[in-house]
Amino acid sequence: MNSYKKHALKLSREYTQANFAWVLSFVVCLIFLVNSFNYKEGTIKSFVFTIFLVYAIFTMYQLFLTWKIKKDLLKFGDIQPITRKLGYIQLLSILSANIFTASFAFNLIKKKKTPEYTFAVFMVFTQLFVIAVSTFNLFKPYVTDTFLPAMGVLVGILIFQIVTLILVSKYVQDESAPSWFLIITIVLIITSLTGNLFNLLLGISLVLKTRSHDRSRIMKWNTMWNKITRNSTAILGMFFIILMLSLSVCSKYTFDYDMAVENDYGSLLQKPSLEHPFGTDDFGRDLFSRIIFGARISLLVGFASTIIPLIIGGFLGAIAGYYTKRADNIIMRLLDILYAIPGILLAIAIIAAFGANTMNLILALSVGAIPSYARTMRANVLMVSNYEYVDSARALGSSDLSIIFKQIVPNSLAPMIVKATLTIGGAVIATSSLSFLGLGVEPHIPEWGNILKVGSTYLESHSYLAIIPGLAIIGLVLSFNFLGDGLRDAFDPRMD
Amino acid sequence: MGLHKESSVNFGFADHLSYVFGKMMKRTSYRYLLLILGFPLHLIVFLFYRVKRKNDTYFTIRNKINTSLQTAGLKEKLIRDFKEQYVRKHAFFQEKVDEQDMNREVERIAQERYLKILAEKVDAEYKQQGFVKLTYISYFQTLIKKPLFLIVSLIPGILMYILLFLFSNFFIKFIFERLVMSIFVIAGVSVLVFTILYLSPFDPAANLLGEAATKEQIASFNHTYGLDLPYLAQLWNALKGIFTFDLGASFTGNEDVAASIANKFPITLTIAVFSLLMAIVIAIPVGIISATRQNTFLDYSFMFIALIGLSIPNFWQGLIFILNFSIKMQWLPATYNPQNMLSIIMPVIVLGTGLTASVARMTRSSMLEIINEDYIITAKAKGLNERQVLWKHAIGNAMIPIITVIGLLFGDMLGGAAVTEKVFNISGLGSYIVDKQFIPDIPAIMGGVIYIAITISLVNVLIDILYAFFDPRIRSKMKQL
Repeated sequence: MNSYKKHALKLSREYTQANFAWVLSFVVCLIFLVNSFNYKEGTIKSFVFTIFLVYAIFTMYQLFLTWKIKKDLLKFGDIQPITRKLGYIQLLSILSANIFTASFAFNLIKKKKTPEYTFAVFMVFTQLFVIAVSTFNLFKPYVTDTFLPAMGVLVGILIFQIVTLILVSKYVQDESAPSWFLIITIVLIITSLTGNLFNLLLGISLVLKTRSHDRSRIMKWNTMWNKITRNSTAILGMFFIILMLSLSVCSKYTFDYDMAVENDYGSLLQKPSLEHPFGTDDFGRDLFSRIIFGARISLLVGFASTIIPLIIGGFLGAIAGYYTKRADNIIMRLLDILYAIPGILLAIAIIAAFGANTMNLILALSVGAIPSYARTMRANVLMVSNYEYVDSARALGSSDLSIIFKQIVPNSLAPMIVKATLTIGGAVIATSSLSFLGLGVEPHIPEWGNILKVGSTYLESHSYLAIIPGLAIIGLVLSFNFLGDGLRDAFDPRMD
Repeated sequence: MGLHKESSVNFGFADHLSYVFGKMMKRTSYRYLLLILGFPLHLIVFLFYRVKRKNDTYFTIRNKINTSLQTAGLKEKLIRDFKEQYVRKHAFFQEKVDEQDMNREVERIAQERYLKILAEKVDAEYKQQGFVKLTYISYFQTLIKKPLFLIVSLIPGILMYILLFLFSNFFIKFIFERLVMSIFVIAGVSVLVFTILYLSPFDPAANLLGEAATKEQIASFNHTYGLDLPYLAQLWNALKGIFTFDLGASFTGNEDVAASIANKFPITLTIAVFSLLMAIVIAIPVGIISATRQNTFLDYSFMFIALIGLSIPNFWQGLIFILNFSIKMQWLPATYNPQNMLSIIMPVIVLGTGLTASVARMTRSSMLEIINEDYIITAKAKGLNERQVLWKHAIGNAMIPIITVIGLLFGDMLGGAAVTEKVFNISGLGSYIVDKQFIPDIPAIMGGVIYIAITISLVNVLIDILYAFFDPRIRSKMKQL
């Protein structure tokens, strides 16, 4: 009996997440604590210290919850309703922007979690964060003309999302959803235009459940997303990526681009304050706005320089893998040449030849990535084309092209998607590295590498100019890597 | 090879050559290579072969069987059978039978089958009578076995014999093929990089001489550096320069490009090698510990740190290091200085972080895969303790994929050196290329990029060879040719 309960502890999704949440929350706490002292003057920065205290309280509560869950599991084999009720208090931690404990709280209060529930929770989180970040503009001397209407729309969407969250948690089952959800779905898909892709995911998921009667399809969808959402790091990575995406869409209306690019000699190199949360740079430009606008470029270059080689490399790899021998030899030997030059060097050579701008940067990064995608695709195609369903398609008289694109390619996409997700991070790093060398995005565009380049000259006196953009890069890259790892685990049949 | 050893006791060198010849002639690409390399020899031997073939019994037997089959009406019977199959197939798919199409198709299949049956019968008959079928290849093989022929033909066929010799040992053959392949890759890389730079819309002459330059000055600049030549001539010069280590002078400063590269390469390579060592020393133990303590707090922390290591941009890490260790704590110098060995520490760590992280992750997953293999379970079942299983049976096999990954990542590291070199102000090859790209200084960029690519190719060749040496599976695969 005892071993069964120990097993329950190991299996429990909540217990793992509880541990994860308190550890990370604790780390954030420590960071705030270290930063709350002014070492030179020996004083305490009251603002940072207050934040630390708030975080510390929620972390303590999180520890208490973790202990309670562990006790429940060891004593009863499952989490008691009262413990789940206690989770409602932890929901408050969302007000301190503690995403770790807040997302855990949402997981705790609901016993049976559908993928839709998780989507809805993170949809609300994303919206809250977008609104919170945009609100910082209120401390500025002026805001853009579109600020108020845009914020109105965002808050309206937030209210709608909260209603949806409640409805979803009440009515959506594992295998079906009431048909009146279709109306909500339409609104969700339209509102996903704000860049909040959780809306879109939730919409698609609901469409599947309201319309489809194919149980196996729904189960497959559920299993896949359950694996991803169970993985705390993967879903947090996804949250951060979508937050960045949503911010870069919304910033067009809520942020003032002039603040990021126009020189303001009245406020050069100012320390972080409420008006300029990250301070200003040597031309008096607001670093906070610049970072927000930089996300746009990083995401654009990252996605474009992943999708282009994905398509070209995937196509070449599929051809090489399907038509073995001669086509294979020619394609792969030519790609070997490309593979022999390190990606960054090839990019430097291409940019040296054609000039430094965003378009050339995307092309340069894409060309270097083609061979590795082609190799992955070829290996998959070689494996898939030996399966029976390919033989049967051939026996039924399908043409080669239709076999490749209808049977083989869809079945060998999963490893390609995983690879793509894992390499977007690399592309983001490469973009900023090249910009840092003066070989990437044009210097006047606020891009994280460019911002860092400026910051690196003020390393001694104003180090935050170099630290903050670096943290933004790491955050985005780390998120893509977490998501990629999660996707790999979800797609890998050996993990079952 | 093994088969041959059994069949002949007097296993001589000439026999072996003849065997290798027969084997190589079966592969189209090698066949052409052999025929071209030994062309004068083959010309003479072929004439003899033509004379000999006329008297051969093979053709008489073939004619005899052919007529006997024709009188038996084999072909008509085949056509009838195939026609019936064709009609049935179409009836099954409910398609219409087109008479003309059908006849053509059936005729083709029947002819193919007929020739096949004929050849089989002839071979069977031939074997029964105890002859070897005379082809050019078998004729040549019998000739090589005669020592006299070998000595006479050594001079005209020397190239072909060298090739035969190289291919007579599977290991030499593997190394030879791998080297030839990398020469092709290097040539391809040179052509590619040159072409990219050739297509550049920038005009180095105008950039260097300034806007005030006259047409004559620009023309004379272009003439000095051979920029007025047609594409192919320039390409030829570039390729020649790459392989003879003479790339001419750079556009700015008029310095010898090959010499500058030779000056700057050692430091880039030194840092890369130290980073590699650091990665191996740290990452492999970390990966093994993570794998053996899967899903513990230690494992999670290691992998979390590794993922952060993968996500940190080199230049940012470098700046943070400088900020903390040079500016705030003043432990290490901020810029590289060849006289001060302490100054190499930070660049090595920064360059090696990404590699360490990926090798650690790779080691962990490779170990996990091995630990769950059946033979490990068997070893445990037989009573070996954890330590023996791990060290004797798991680690050796888990290292195999990691060596390849290290080889591939070494390339990325050399490529990424440019950023690290810029941050720490090291005058290595990477920063040399970056400094030269604004003009663009074509010989310098081309030389830098191509020599790095060559180094990477050679490292990978070396790893492949080592690999073939250590991995019994690859050795046995190579033996099969």
